Amino acid sequence: MTPEEKYELFEKFCSNELSINEKARLDKLISEDKTIEKELQLYKELHIHLDASFNLEKEQETLKANLKRIGDDHFAKIPKEKVVKEKTDKKNSGQTTKKPKVIKLPTWSYAVAASIAIIFGVYFFTQSNPTYNDFAAIPELSISERGVDEENVKNAENAFNKQNYAIAEKYLSLLVSKDPENAEYQFYYAISLLEQDKYSGASEVLEKLSQGNSVYRYKAIWFEALNQLKQKKYDQSAKLLKTLPKEAEDYNKAQELLKKLD
Amino acid sequence: MPNNKPHPDQKYIEALLKNDTVLLAEIYDKFAPKVVGYIKKNSGDDSGAQDIIQETLITIYRQAKEKALQLTCPFDAYFFLLCKRKWLNELKKSSQKEVTINEEVVSINDESVRFAEETEIFNAKHELFTEMFDQLGKACKELLKVTFTIKSMEEVAQKLGQSYAYVRKKKSLCIGQLTQLVQNTPKFNQLKNML
Repeated sequence: MTPEEKYELFEKFCSNELSINEKARLDKLISEDKTIEKELQLYKELHIHLDASFNLEKEQETLKANLKRIGDDHFAKIPKEKVVKEKTDKKNSGQTTKKPKVIKLPTWSYAVAASIAIIFGVYFFTQSNPTYNDFAAIPELSISERGVDEENVKNAENAFNKQNYAIAEKYLSLLVSKDPENAEYQFYYAISLLEQDKYSGASEVLEKLSQGNSVYRYKAIWFEALNQLKQKKYDQSAKLLKTLPKEAEDYNKAQELLKKLD
Repeated sequence: MPNNKPHPDQKYIEALLKNDTVLLAEIYDKFAPKVVGYIKKNSGDDSGAQDIIQETLITIYRQAKEKALQLTCPFDAYFFLLCKRKWLNELKKSSQKEVTINEEVVSINDESVRFAEETEIFNAKHELFTEMFDQLGKACKELLKVTFTIKSMEEVAQKLGQSYAYVRKKKSLCIGQLTQLVQNTPKFNQLKNML
């Protein structure tokens, strides 16, 4: 048997495409030659590895970004506890604590620094493109009084209003899956995604909302425009802004943004 | 004696698969401090620890995805062992810094060691596979990418303007070549002996 034939059998084995005859042939090969069995084993592993590498890329990146965020939160939290602990550790071990070096600046230097900061600020403010943060005013989420699913609702509300959007996303996604027609859940779910830079997820929900009849339909267009702005897709953003009708709550803000985008 | 019932801590493996923020944050709260403590005692800092923890979690995720990892031991010792060894490897790679070997931070049973070793072998293979894939020719790399990302082989064949059988044959030859490349590395034989 040529290597070509062997690998073709392996491939069919991995994708469940062996005919009965081919299966018998492969079984015979394996039973006669242990090295072929081992090679098939490795081929199979590589098959799984390649499949996962190509198809999990996006999922893995999302997980990684989430872990980074959770890690950042976690490590930002510890210092206070640790400083105390380290101090006591040092005392116990009788080591001398190193004094932190502080370099004193003369007071006039603050004035200089402030002036420089202002100059830079003015320069960049007038120069730069409008940003998401200039325009996004995130409304407060208040849904707990209509509690059907008290706990999830409360958790979603708390997390969202504390700007803990990763956790809010989790609860809102639960609420959306239980009540898929609820536009309010969908809207806040989209905002949670958007705040985490999960652009395409946010777009999907916002687009659906903007095509519906709920009170959130114009809000959805406005935030989708901000979504595009956040990604620096200025043309897309402008296009969406132009579709906002006068009666939309965010019409004036949209005009203001449009002017800056021109 | 290996037992087959999943440990309650399997929930952390599931959390990685589902990207469950609440449980993932719990992993950091519950298990990170020991790792951080260890790394700091061994020439590291917070940011080094954060990287090691994140990389270890990604490795566990990949193993769970590809091999349906079922934990029958507590997560604690398993995770600590993995982070610790990863850190020791880092140190070895970067310089000859002094390392205190401190095994008593968590109680370690045989099963945790076995699981940690399995994950390490998985990770080593993973790295080797990726390295060898890079050595394939451009045509193979592209063909494999297309055949694995587009699920229907008929669609792939159509896209490439070839017959289904031809594309499958090409694909099998590329993976065959990769199999050969991997088999011929000394590292692969070392890994095989570890199993």
